[in-house]
Amino acid sequence: MSINISADIIGAVKEKSPQFDLEEIIAKYRPIVSFRVKKSLGSHTPDWEDVVNEIMVNVLEKLHKREFRGDSSIGTFIFTITSRRIIDFIRQKSKVLKYAPEPNPYLSPYEHIENKERAESTAKAIEKLKPKYKKILYLYYYKDLSREEVAQKLGISTRRVSERVNYAQKLLRKMMKK
Amino acid sequence: MRKCKHEDLIDGYLLNKLSEEKKQEFEAHYFNCRVCFEKMAERDEMLTAIKYKGHTIFQDLETETEVERAPVLGQIWAFFTPKQWALAVATTAVLVVVALGVIPNLTTTSPQFFINDDLVRGSSIRLISPVIAVDTIPSQFRWESLGEDVEYKIELYNHELLWSATTSNHYITLPQEVKERMVTGEKYSWQVKAFSAEGTLIAVSSKVQFPVTK
Repeated sequence: MSINISADIIGAVKEKSPQFDLEEIIAKYRPIVSFRVKKSLGSHTPDWEDVVNEIMVNVLEKLHKREFRGDSSIGTFIFTITSRRIIDFIRQKSKVLKYAPEPNPYLSPYEHIENKERAESTAKAIEKLKPKYKKILYLYYYKDLSREEVAQKLGISTRRVSERVNYAQKLLRKMMKK
Repeated sequence: MRKCKHEDLIDGYLLNKLSEEKKQEFEAHYFNCRVCFEKMAERDEMLTAIKYKGHTIFQDLETETEVERAPVLGQIWAFFTPKQWALAVATTAVLVVVALGVIPNLTTTSPQFFINDDLVRGSSIRLISPVIAVDTIPSQFRWESLGEDVEYKIELYNHELLWSATTSNHYITLPQEVKERMVTGEKYSWQVKAFSAEGTLIAVSSKVQFPVTK
């Protein structure tokens, strides 16, 4: 199935519900829905892109059928559709939900060349960070210690840990923009 | 980028540390909050790189940690160079030889023994006479000499202290008036204590009993 939603569906919804800027809705919510689906199903699940596509089509269909009445925000409306589809998918894949395999929470950067390149450049940027920021990222994200444990190990406050993590992120953002 | 109150949940969500309730709350939130979603996506990118490339990114820190975990013995070994270790071993060997030669000579002969349940540390005095039953009241008490400049204190007991005297000799003659107070058929005991010239107790004898038979 193609990732792009058929222009026919968009056209049909636009005709009936001209109040919605469908291109904007798709552009805004596809990344959010994709993130949620990958986080829930695991990026190793080959069907995740199909699931995202189904959700987006479902959103458009419901808008077309005027099922969105504005009782909640469009974000909450799409969130509900996404959650239901994820649950259905898991039920289909494993008959008993509680035995569903634990999804891999970390998305593999090697699915797409573009992702791989970004992961490589992020890694290089982290390597260039000052030792105190690098060490924070190492303990907190790589060694999976709690903020309290990191604070204790480095002899600083937990607030300071959060500040350093945020500042490291800020430095990386700057480095990645260059 | 402005701050949102839900931002603090980003790390917990990405690291799977939120409760199910908080997780769902945050998921519903980021569908409506562009700020949180963008920050989360950015952090996730960093986290993904760390999780997949961490072993190379943090190679130096991993080595550092391994050194921290290295056994104490390894750290001690790393403290000196092999040349310094050789010197240290040789020095220790010399010290051991010297110690083994000198220490036995320094050891003082200070036996320990019990008197009236009290542990006494020091030399003992061997009593010579009387130490067994006698048929007459003894005139003289004798013990082994501990050398010069020693003051001895003798104590003679019946049921209680009968007489006490001091002398620098290793014998003493019983005064007549004490002798007259002693009777046959009774049991007596005696003990000698030795003092240095400075008055320090240096030796004590056992308390020896001698019956005076009829």
